[in-house]
Amino acid sequence: MEVSVIRSSSQAKISKTELGCRDLSQISRFRKAGLRFTLKAVHSDPVLESKSPATFKSLDRLRLFVGLPLDAVSDGNSVNHARAIGAGLKALKLLGVEGVELPVWWGVVENEMGKYDWSGYLAVAEMVQKAGLKLHVSLCFHASSQPRIPLPKWVTKIGESQSSIFFADRSGQHYQQCLSLAVDNLAVLDGKTPIQVYQGFCESFKTTFSPFMGSTITGISMGLGPDGELRYPSHHKPAKSGTITGGGEFQCYDTNMLNLLKQYAEANGNPLWGLGGPHDAPTYDQAPNSNSFFKDHGGSWESPYGDFFLSWYSSELVSHGNRLLSLASSIFGDTEVNVYGKVPLMHSWYKTRAHPSELTAGFYNTASRNGYEAVAEMFARNSCKIILPGMDLSDEHQPHDALSSPESLLAQIRTTCNKHRVEVAGQNLAPGAPGGIEQIKKNMLGENKIDLFTYQRMGAHFFSPEHFPSFTEFVRSLSQPELHPDDLPSDEAEATESVQTSSDPNIHLQTA
Amino acid sequence: MAAVTIDSLLQNPTLLFRPKAKVMLKPPRSLDCSRNRKLPLSRGSCFCSFNPRRTIHVVRASSSETALIGNFDTSSSDDIFYKDIFPVKRIEKVEGKFFIRLDRSKDQHDWQLTVGCSLPGKWILHWGVSYLGDSGSEWDQPPKGMRPPGSIPIKDYAIETPLKKLSEGDIFHEVKIDFNPSSEIAAIHFVLKDEETGAWYQHRGMDFKVPLVDYLEDDGNTVGAKRGFGVWSGALQQFSNVLLKSEASHADSQNNSIESKDSKNKNRCLEGFYEEQSIVKEVSVGNLVSVAVRKSPETGKVIVCLETDIPGDVVVHWGVCRDDAKIWEIPAAPYPPETTVFKNKALRTLLQPKATGNRSGALFTLDEEHFGFLFVLKLDDNTWLKFKENDFYVPLLGTSSVPGQYGQSDITTEEISSKSYTDGIINEIRNLVSGLSSEKSQKTKTKEVQESILQEIEQLAAEAYSIFRSSITTVPEEVVSETETTKPAVKISSGTGTGFEILCQGFNWESHKSGRWYMELKEKASEISSLGFTVIWLPPPTESVSPEGYMPKDLYNLNSRYGTIAELKELVKSLHEVGIKVLGDVVLNHRCAHFKNQNGVWNIFGGRLNWDDRAVVADDPHFQGRGNKSSGDNFHAAPNIDHSQEFVRKDLKEWLGWLREEIGYDGWRLDFVRGFWGGYVKDYLEASEPYFAVGEYWDSLSYTYGEMDHNQDSHRQRIVDWINATNGTAGAFDVTTKGILHSALERCEYWRLSDKKGKPPGVVGWWPSRAVTFIENHDTGSTQGHWRFPGGKEMQGYAYILTHPGTPAVFYDHIFSHHRSEIANLISVRNRNGIHCRSLVKIVKAERDVYAAIIDEKVAMKIGPGYYEPPSGSQGWSLALEGRDYKVWETS
Repeated sequence: MEVSVIRSSSQAKISKTELGCRDLSQISRFRKAGLRFTLKAVHSDPVLESKSPATFKSLDRLRLFVGLPLDAVSDGNSVNHARAIGAGLKALKLLGVEGVELPVWWGVVENEMGKYDWSGYLAVAEMVQKAGLKLHVSLCFHASSQPRIPLPKWVTKIGESQSSIFFADRSGQHYQQCLSLAVDNLAVLDGKTPIQVYQGFCESFKTTFSPFMGSTITGISMGLGPDGELRYPSHHKPAKSGTITGGGEFQCYDTNMLNLLKQYAEANGNPLWGLGGPHDAPTYDQAPNSNSFFKDHGGSWESPYGDFFLSWYSSELVSHGNRLLSLASSIFGDTEVNVYGKVPLMHSWYKTRAHPSELTAGFYNTASRNGYEAVAEMFARNSCKIILPGMDLSDEHQPHDALSSPESLLAQIRTTCNKHRVEVAGQNLAPGAPGGIEQIKKNMLGENKIDLFTYQRMGAHFFSPEHFPSFTEFVRSLSQPELHPDDLPSDEAEATESVQTSSDPNIHLQTA
Repeated sequence: MAAVTIDSLLQNPTLLFRPKAKVMLKPPRSLDCSRNRKLPLSRGSCFCSFNPRRTIHVVRASSSETALIGNFDTSSSDDIFYKDIFPVKRIEKVEGKFFIRLDRSKDQHDWQLTVGCSLPGKWILHWGVSYLGDSGSEWDQPPKGMRPPGSIPIKDYAIETPLKKLSEGDIFHEVKIDFNPSSEIAAIHFVLKDEETGAWYQHRGMDFKVPLVDYLEDDGNTVGAKRGFGVWSGALQQFSNVLLKSEASHADSQNNSIESKDSKNKNRCLEGFYEEQSIVKEVSVGNLVSVAVRKSPETGKVIVCLETDIPGDVVVHWGVCRDDAKIWEIPAAPYPPETTVFKNKALRTLLQPKATGNRSGALFTLDEEHFGFLFVLKLDDNTWLKFKENDFYVPLLGTSSVPGQYGQSDITTEEISSKSYTDGIINEIRNLVSGLSSEKSQKTKTKEVQESILQEIEQLAAEAYSIFRSSITTVPEEVVSETETTKPAVKISSGTGTGFEILCQGFNWESHKSGRWYMELKEKASEISSLGFTVIWLPPPTESVSPEGYMPKDLYNLNSRYGTIAELKELVKSLHEVGIKVLGDVVLNHRCAHFKNQNGVWNIFGGRLNWDDRAVVADDPHFQGRGNKSSGDNFHAAPNIDHSQEFVRKDLKEWLGWLREEIGYDGWRLDFVRGFWGGYVKDYLEASEPYFAVGEYWDSLSYTYGEMDHNQDSHRQRIVDWINATNGTAGAFDVTTKGILHSALERCEYWRLSDKKGKPPGVVGWWPSRAVTFIENHDTGSTQGHWRFPGGKEMQGYAYILTHPGTPAVFYDHIFSHHRSEIANLISVRNRNGIHCRSLVKIVKAERDVYAAIIDEKVAMKIGPGYYEPPSGSQGWSLALEGRDYKVWETS
């Protein structure tokens, strides 16, 4: 009689549990699970409980976020395409997405120094809360060119007369999308240091959004540099995907950086090394081996001067990161919100010994030195988590000549983070990268699981017929890992069969 | 028997305060709510207001008297420790009348058909006529004179006319159709549509038919005329949520005897008649159920007051429970009056009407040890009202808590429960979406839910997509960027071809008649090419139920009335040889079925694409589709294809690819694209990679008091929106320009040819590269003449479109007519001066009797009887062409 009860009400459950166990190929587990399950089936308990915990754990831990449009709020007090976002939020909620990521721009909020207009962002936060989603806020202290979101006007104005607040390359060209890390503690902003200004911004944010903190807002990313990432703007123009670019340029030529370099050189007893950056580094788009600095063998990077310069250059970046993250964790430490910082995936030229792209970006990571140790250690010190973009990139799809390896670099950084017990959250670079979704899945569900992933980014392309279905598919597949479609009960016959296979004598004994 | 459930409060916080549907028999109870909301302020206790929903809880927390509870409770109400108001939604049937009257109009010469309806709603009469000698069941559009003002033509076979109230006080919404009985019209056909609910009213699953001549074959759906009331006796079929209730079927016998005496008299003698029917519409109505619990200080018993504004007899089906498990038990007596025990499980109490207002209620006195009070409501039409698919639950323990505190704690518990409720739903959805919930017994049910959720997700995504999309390409501005590129883009895109295309419509409405059109056209190929055309649009090639080809059946059968597939290939080959690209006319919106379904409705397809009714949209009652709702307007004469179905899209893409390969078509003319979302068109175009594509998005222009509005921005916006939805992969026929040319030329109002910003007022003014300008086609002109270009002014029209930006299309009938040489000259001026689809227009004159413009500084033109000469000066204008009321100059 019991068996008939099972058949009529819960064949599908049985087959599913059984399959979970078949995957584990442990007979004892199988019996145990089957038995437990059968008992439950008789009592008609919910399905979910009957899952064997090991099999579906990844599903419970995984949290998927989707980035909102960069210009969701662009003039301080109104939400752009609110209706579209509203519809989008509903769709995401129905899909089972955990939350959304909202970029909050310095240039939108702080139009006058010390005066903050949060109204547009508050409106978005309310929409998100209403939709029952979580919110991850990215505080952006940089500017965006596409869509155009500049730095605050008053900052730009200061920059016009005082260009040394921006990074400069060897030719003296300024990068005006974010402030140079060398001015962090200089009172260049109308008598205040940038750190003080960032602090005021964060504190105002915290007070204003306190009703959402910990409930709706679960995470905050601290903007650390160009595109929010902890790096130097070693490429002034973002590289187009699929094209081979050079290794970028060192950005140590603004007055303040040069001052720091000079001090450091003098302190190290090599004052002559402090007069400028490496003279033999190639320019932005030149192949790294076109000049002697990055040469694979005998390049200056391996010389004592190279070590001197790269140590200083990279340590300045880490100190900058430390300043901002300690600021963030001191402000948000008493809330239930996690603080994150983004570390770039400078994957081109990874297969060379010198790793030029990483070096110019400020990561002293070469074939002989793990440059991410210092970075991970700094994140650990501030109890912050790392966001790694580029989880959608696979080696296979990189131009062959670029000697690039996003997968190896990602693995290296993740291993280093594990060592320092820094949690890693994932992000993709852009939807539509070839093989991107497969790669993301691989990264999220593989051995080394990621529990938070932010998918970039909501907008026309995201919802377009060529993209959205694949995203839907992606979300569904995430929550259903490792189950081959053939394994799922598809019709009555199959399910009944499963029942029979699982009709172990033990079950009869137990349930009778 | 329907169980009516209540929506989640959290999702609909406004539900409480919004007066529901306009059909409200009783004043909405929300009035009470708003009154209540003010009260707590006086107490000032634990007021936390995040949203309106919370404030209601505050009502509960306070102990002030409220209107509802006050009715019960004359004693002190301080001991009320629980109050709640549950909004409930139920379906109410509203009855009204619906009549059809045929009589002579006032002048005693013409006749008049009046259709009226007394129910509120946005009623539309969807109608057409059939002519004498017509065979089959297709409708035709009635002659213009017959169409009441406000009518909108729906394609070429029907008219939609709204029903209006003649004056404010009138009960009936009416529409009157005047007609001349001596005309060729055999019958008027119609269905009634309620735009508010999207419901259709039909007659026995068919159209209503009012025969105007009496020898029509009776299909069983005839109304009135010679047959008296008899035809009404059958049940009128229910569609959607609407019931058309038959008055009385027992009238049958009686009616049969009434059957008209002159039924054998076969002359055209019309008889007036008047038919009246009751009509029932289901409207969702919001009501409230309020519950208050207090403890009687004298007896120590708990008293539950329940009250509602639901009209009619309301029976409370109730019990109590001991614990959270909420297992129903019957409490000890006494019970309220009118209480019966139901199957030893529950009690049933009929609510007693209250003296004041339209409420009813009851008092339940219970011992205090009970944990909770459970109930559901049964209405007099056997409808059960539940709370979120569960029993209503009122906690009874709580007498010990201090009222103020109680309120607060209650808010939290309520929050938790509603949170867990939403979480529950979300979990459920997640399981559904991820396919984890596979409880076999629920499988079919959950599958439906899952599909509907996925569908909803898809719709939301589509909505978000279209908004994001349109906010990226700010279309009206696009002109600026496009005109900036003074050098024509050499890049070929499916929306524009090379940008220098001139299109020839290679057929008219009669072309099918010879049976060898392809061969006839083949002989003209080199002639067409020599006139300067670069693209030709061929008639729809598929097997079709109608000879013209627009009712396709088997898409892979290309033997049509225009010729065989072999002849078609031969024609395409000859056209290619003379350098003409070929557009296939593809009908993607609808398709005629091969077979009937079990209900006798034609919606099962055959041939290579043997789709079933899942390929048919669900919202056209004629065809009982099982697909999703249409993403556009419906074409009512054939099953509309549901493009949201993956398999449909896949098959159509394959088909288009096959046409490209097999026949050699270079591009498409897309029929009736109003019928489905432009995003799907984009999908098809990207898959079939045409050289050129143009869509027919044809709806009516705006008229005020019968006169066309000067500003047709909303009309062209709709066309632009469609182009936008295709992502610019297709152009669209510039219906707006044609309409404006009609008025300008016909009425000598040439000022209409400039919009507020001094640009051309049609689509060509906003998105020139995607506008395919035309003055006539097989529908508007030819032998159909649905919207014929003002006679004798065709050359002014061509002087306009052939000198202006956009891609001009010339109609076959005009090419092979006395206009031929003038058209050829205009085309050669266009080509000589390199005018292209993005050329820059400067309007120099737009006055009553003359319009003049200079295009790309190279060509000047004027139309209209008024005077214009281009400025004499360095440019050196010389007259290139001259005709009746038009002149064209070029620079020398």
